[in-house]
Amino acid sequence: MGKKSVLELKINGDTYEIACTPNTTLLEALREKALLTGTKRGCDAGACGACTVIVDGEAVLACLTLAVEAEGCDIRTIEGLAGNGKLSPVQEAFVEQGAIQCGFCSPGFIMSATAMLAEHPNPDREEIQRHLAGNLCRCTGYAKIVAAVEDAAARIRGGAR
Amino acid sequence: MRLPIFIHRQPRDFAGVVSVLTEDPAAKVLAGGTDLLVNMKHRVEMPGMLVSLKKVADIRGIGMEGDATVIGAATTLKEIRNHSELERKYPALVQAARSVGSYRHQAMGTLGGNLCQNTRCRFFNQSWQWRQARSLCYKAGGEDCHVIGKKQTCFSTYSGDVAPALLVLDASVRIMGPGGLREAPLAALYSGEGRAPLTLGSGEFVTAVVIPRTAARGRSCYEKFSLRGSIDFPIVGAAVWRGDDAVRVAFTGVDRAPVRAAALEAALAGKRLTDAALKECATVAHKAAKIARTSVHPVSFKRELMGALFAKAMREV
Repeated sequence: MGKKSVLELKINGDTYEIACTPNTTLLEALREKALLTGTKRGCDAGACGACTVIVDGEAVLACLTLAVEAEGCDIRTIEGLAGNGKLSPVQEAFVEQGAIQCGFCSPGFIMSATAMLAEHPNPDREEIQRHLAGNLCRCTGYAKIVAAVEDAAARIRGGAR
Repeated sequence: MRLPIFIHRQPRDFAGVVSVLTEDPAAKVLAGGTDLLVNMKHRVEMPGMLVSLKKVADIRGIGMEGDATVIGAATTLKEIRNHSELERKYPALVQAARSVGSYRHQAMGTLGGNLCQNTRCRFFNQSWQWRQARSLCYKAGGEDCHVIGKKQTCFSTYSGDVAPALLVLDASVRIMGPGGLREAPLAALYSGEGRAPLTLGSGEFVTAVVIPRTAARGRSCYEKFSLRGSIDFPIVGAAVWRGDDAVRVAFTGVDRAPVRAAALEAALAGKRLTDAALKECATVAHKAAKIARTSVHPVSFKRELMGALFAKAMREV
């Protein structure tokens, strides 16, 4: 009944061997087994977007994804965005535009925005709002977050990586 | 919220799914997980076994079979939302897919999962702790329906967005089971009973949706009203289809199943659809459903919404 198995999860390019039961969500595997706590647990029921991670290029809710079904997929979390001591263009734009207050929702927003910009490099304001609609922020009032994503899009078009 | 313990199976083909579902009649099919896993976290659904469709072959994709459009049950709502040919032929379907939850739900959620989602109620879709305040409702395993105060009945509301759109497009569903593959009109998938809203038999699951070519000869539209445009289930949703000499209308969020509005369709037949005629017909739209107060919204409000959304959608086609 619900036997433990060892999963090989590819997270941010590294392979993690994680022993878990089938009822372990990807969010629990990331936070409690891989100790990657950048991905946040908010509502834990798919309504707030705080746990958004990128699986095979698609922004998904880690609280409603089974870890066992993420085996063999390319998983990216907030910890995997910065490289060589440099923030990603989306992270940079969030910092510079002041799109962060308490910061709890930021990893989810940044992962959603990163996935969206990979698919739509030139979004208009409405498109950004629609794509980020599943992410909740209780501090900023969203205006600076949308401005940061516009800024990030311009940075990426300008060749930033 | 931890998920309850379950056994997880990932068969590779239809026969594999049927064999697991037959082995454990209480097993549930897992597609996108955006409905089932939330219910499991709330402990209102506790299947001992989940059958994942992730690795099943030939259950995902949009294609043509002769004149009909066939969409695999595990096709994501995002794939439907972004499909330009579907948008041209069946705008109501794409509008409905686009209105489901947030973008994340559309990327994870599937067509079959949206159609087969569980019915909803303010006494059912709550955390385990919340539900401890009173006896379990009938749907959650108790005796009474807290909405209408009767024993052994359930008025939980079907709240899927895509079903009304497919109902007006005259779609059917392909169902695989121990007896092989069968096809049935979409309306026949729903029992109209809140506690067990689907008619699927033991070992059966939905494999595809078939939309007939004739549906592309009319114009269609889906209109939804929800509290937040960004993420919510519909308070009421209305789909209409208008061909040369017929109109089809369906609603969601108003009854234990998605409903076709037969009386309304009859009233519309042969009428010149002026604004005055639409207004008159809108007043009887609510007769299609038996609305119970399963959400915080009053029945009278939902009745009015049915008429308003129907008229709004009709002006688009």
